[in-house]
Amino acid sequence: MAQEKLYLKGDKLLDISNYEFKSIKNALRIGREKTIKKVKDSGLKGRGGAGFPTGIKWEMAAEVEGKEKYVVCNADEGEPGTFKDRYLLEERPLKVLEGIMLAAYAVGADKAYIYIRGEYSKSIEIFSEIIETAREKKILDANLFDSDFKLELKLIRGAGAYVCGDETSLINSIEGKRGRSRIKPPYPIEKGLFKQPTVVNNVESLCCAAEVLNPDSEEFSELGIKGSKGTKLLCLSGDLNKPGLYEVEFAQITLAEIIYDLGGGIKGNEDLRFVIPGGISTAVIKAEDLDFPYSYQAFEKRGSSLGSGAVIAVSKKHDLIDLMLNVSRFYMDETCGTCFPCREGNRQINKILNAFKEEDRKIETELISDIGNTIRLAARCGLGQSSLNFITSVIENYGKELKFGGKIYA
Amino acid sequence: MDKLKSLFYQDSLLEKLHQIQITYGYIPEAEIENLSEKYQLARANVYGVISFYSMFYTEPTGKYIIRICDSISCHLNESDSVLRAVKSYLGLKSHQTTEDKKFTLEVVECLGHCGEGPVMMVNNKIFTKINKNKALEILNDCM
Repeated sequence: MAQEKLYLKGDKLLDISNYEFKSIKNALRIGREKTIKKVKDSGLKGRGGAGFPTGIKWEMAAEVEGKEKYVVCNADEGEPGTFKDRYLLEERPLKVLEGIMLAAYAVGADKAYIYIRGEYSKSIEIFSEIIETAREKKILDANLFDSDFKLELKLIRGAGAYVCGDETSLINSIEGKRGRSRIKPPYPIEKGLFKQPTVVNNVESLCCAAEVLNPDSEEFSELGIKGSKGTKLLCLSGDLNKPGLYEVEFAQITLAEIIYDLGGGIKGNEDLRFVIPGGISTAVIKAEDLDFPYSYQAFEKRGSSLGSGAVIAVSKKHDLIDLMLNVSRFYMDETCGTCFPCREGNRQINKILNAFKEEDRKIETELISDIGNTIRLAARCGLGQSSLNFITSVIENYGKELKFGGKIYA
Repeated sequence: MDKLKSLFYQDSLLEKLHQIQITYGYIPEAEIENLSEKYQLARANVYGVISFYSMFYTEPTGKYIIRICDSISCHLNESDSVLRAVKSYLGLKSHQTTEDKKFTLEVVECLGHCGEGPVMMVNNKIFTKINKNKALEILNDCM
């Protein structure tokens, strides 16, 4: 039976008087450079979806000169199927706070922001209380544990826009603009918030960094395999008997075990058709191909990605066109509209799929794949670039079953 | 949450808009004027920001904003049947408000409770594992 490995997940961490801040104390003791080196050596990759190495991001940010430097915690969790950051914000906010402090200390920032999506009202309430108590207890806004490090942290609530999960869109949103992505370079590391060097890290990444620096969990950095280190929070949903949040060690569990052991298998008497492994911006993995260890590289090898950790099981009872339309509507509504291939492309895909459903028209699969490639090449942000991964992968894997041009019944 | 207002990033236009939205239930024209002066932005720019975010309104909303998620995980758990029931019960399409200004309906994307779908939000309160009947009960409790 597959086992969970619990580091990020655990008892509630809400009482600041009983929280020891061991990781940040450790960091203050060993200094900035060693802190960054530890995170770098841990092989930690960003957990928001893009998987950029956190230590390298911190190292680059530490080296850049700027009038001010900022750390932004990206808590604009919006990828359908994902609820891990909400869990961390609601149940383990002190770990999140400590992660933000670590990042700020490591890169030499004295101002930080946490941007929580507007729909997460409970997270906003809990985290604002944490900030308030941290100020009272002189954890924030004061020289921390008699060091020369002092951090000011502010909370921003989003207002309903998926695309603000992209780091440059998020920065625009904090600045009070439309949440449109920016052209890169310059990367936020050089010129981010208010044109100053800015590190944007996902909630889970920051909590992982706190584990890396925690003297009580030194083994954390040893977990997993090269290229996929530590643990990952999985958000299981869809047609499963036991959906919910789980934490696993990389490469020590297969996707099949995740679905059938942790997730308790498929509801009712249905069979699994495929798994969406990392939210709707990732390519599907067929039910026949689940027997591989959960790691960044294993998904990459299969042309997909572990994305945000949203593992969605889809059984055979669902109509594939209906699902593609659902995903297509999402991107049509949520594109920020800046890059026209993403804006118009997603609208056209929706039109093509609707015409197929309503008028029994032929689907031009080549056209869909052309549009997909165009968006992938031309969109500025990762959210746009990956917007057709689900749809094109369903067509690649199940195009014949859909009987394009004829009557569908998947 | 109001006592914690000072913790939010006060200088930000986004936060100002939130506060106006909470005060009036929408963002009135006069406030847009004020913001445009305060931030030295054309009114069109302020509108541009407002219209980008789905939680801001320039028209009065209902007393209860009903948000129902229809993203993939909820959809797999039959959120569409909840939606059909709620739409016909309230006589509304998405983004519409009842004449008595009691309910505004929003079909929304992921609310982050995907393991407990379908999910519905009434103002700030989340309801998980709903079905048609539960949804209608929740609406009745608002009456």
